[in-house]
Amino acid sequence: MLNIEKTIDASELTITLAGRLDTTTAPELEKQLNAALDGITALTFDMAALEYISSAGLRVLLSAQKIMNRQGKMKVLHVNETILEIFEVTGFTDILTIE
Amino acid sequence: MEQTIISLNGRIDSNNAPKVEQEIFARLAGQEAGPVVLDAENLEYISSAGLRVILRLKKTHPDLSIVHVNSEVYEILDMTGFTEMMTVEKAYRVVSVEGCEEIGRGANGTIYRIDQDNVVKVYNNADALSDIQHEREVAKLALVLGIPTAISYDVVRVGASYGSVFELLNARSFSKILATEPEKMDWCVTEYVRMLKTIHGTLVPEGKLPDMKQTALDWARFLQAHLPEGPGRKLLAMVEAIPHDDHMIHGDYHTKNLELQNDEVLLIDMDTLSVGHPIFELAYMYNAFQGFSEMDHEIIKAFQGFDYETGAAFWRKSLAAYLGTNNQRKIREVEDKARILGYARMIRRSIRRHMTDTEAGRAEVAHWTEELLDLLERYDTLLFQPNELELEAVTENLEEVQSFVEDHLEASDCALKARTQIGVAVEEIFVNIANYAYHPQKGNATVRVEVSEKPVCVTITFLDHGVPYDPLAKDDPDVTLSAQERDIGGLGIFMTKQLMDDVAYTYKDGQNILTLKKNL
Repeated sequence: MLNIEKTIDASELTITLAGRLDTTTAPELEKQLNAALDGITALTFDMAALEYISSAGLRVLLSAQKIMNRQGKMKVLHVNETILEIFEVTGFTDILTIE
Repeated sequence: MEQTIISLNGRIDSNNAPKVEQEIFARLAGQEAGPVVLDAENLEYISSAGLRVILRLKKTHPDLSIVHVNSEVYEILDMTGFTEMMTVEKAYRVVSVEGCEEIGRGANGTIYRIDQDNVVKVYNNADALSDIQHEREVAKLALVLGIPTAISYDVVRVGASYGSVFELLNARSFSKILATEPEKMDWCVTEYVRMLKTIHGTLVPEGKLPDMKQTALDWARFLQAHLPEGPGRKLLAMVEAIPHDDHMIHGDYHTKNLELQNDEVLLIDMDTLSVGHPIFELAYMYNAFQGFSEMDHEIIKAFQGFDYETGAAFWRKSLAAYLGTNNQRKIREVEDKARILGYARMIRRSIRRHMTDTEAGRAEVAHWTEELLDLLERYDTLLFQPNELELEAVTENLEEVQSFVEDHLEASDCALKARTQIGVAVEEIFVNIANYAYHPQKGNATVRVEVSEKPVCVTITFLDHGVPYDPLAKDDPDVTLSAQERDIGGLGIFMTKQLMDDVAYTYKDGQNILTLKKNL
């Protein structure tokens, strides 16, 4: 189960994720991102309530990062310890801006 | 040689012992030293002076027995070793169970409360002394092996049969608790399953208890004439394939045979105690809570005091707790295997007891037979692995696989972080199998979870019959590349390797076998 909440402020988009970002839920996030990223220059993921991420979730984050590299900036907030370790072993700590 | 019966009356002590001795030897004078029976029905007390008379009599008449001995006199004879020297038969106290509360019922007898502290188990057959002896012995054995149970301290006459008396203070059966306090269902399940696991974890010295497999083989052999040839033979082969197991099974484990005495849970009705594979026990349990009442839901009410729905819920919850998973597929599989043996037993029982003489009896046997034939078509073994789940390898089943693994990790003291990491690894491997193993067809995968204690380590094994493929052979992605340079994908297996302590692959017997290990 993944809860996706979007807040748009002009060209700034904040996505608050709660639950699990996995094989089952990642396609929905990808779909919503594709529909929302036009004209966005600042993308923020708030992961305070995200409990779990698998490679399917990482793929969505990577493609979002690739898009934002072209049109603005992207950052990730409030990552829990378990997810941070997954970012570390996969080199995502170097790719993402984690605050 | 004819036996001489001599009655002993009242008290025999130093006052009258010489006189009693005189009388006895006068009776026997002039006779050969044939068998002598002392009838102690009216003997109230015997002192050491009296015992010496019996000793002297034993010397001249070695074939000496004492019958109808009341319990006080029996105690004296027992303490002084007389019960070892000669045959001493107790007089049985007569007990009436008229108007007594029935608190338990088993295959061979019914248990009544005769007063506040005592219960009596009345045996169904009139010639029950050897059964009583058997139950006493197995109850003693169980107690010594660590099963909390009650051992009878007296044998009594009840009508035309015998009963054994137990001390059972303020005790209530689990059936009664379930019937009167439904909110205690979960507590009952926990205690019931705890006891079940204790029983099944008890190793019985060889030859001490009957082997339940032999009984089940009788069922299967009996059914050869009832079932079509193919399914009949299959049933027999399935029972034959159950390996010998020296662990204890109760053999009639339902909620009337579990008593709460103060705060202690006691197992009673021990006469069916056996050894064997747990599937035999589950078959009896299924019958008690479901099988016997499948057609007529009133039966369980009469027997257990609670309704069919309560019985079904209790059985399902207990099976889940026993297997350590809430996975419905797993629970159904084990239930189905228990049903195979359960139906075999009930069909045989009904036919042998001529219950098929009635329309209702025939309908019941027809129903059980139909169910049994369906099950025999769907299953090839009666064995089960609580920690193994076989299902279709499709991503829709990922959640089920993950919660199955979680159920087994919950039982161990696995930290949340390690649990999440194991979850990720399980997802990566299962999704990999779902996407590639059988593509474009579909097939099954098996997931096995093992938790070892020393050192604390989780091993998860995935098996599939898809195309041979070693996911570990692929090069690891370069995780130092920038976002722009990186491929989307290829991370799953790499993450799995990083998060687990060991990942191994082999191809054996037409199966891909992938093993994950995580030290906790």
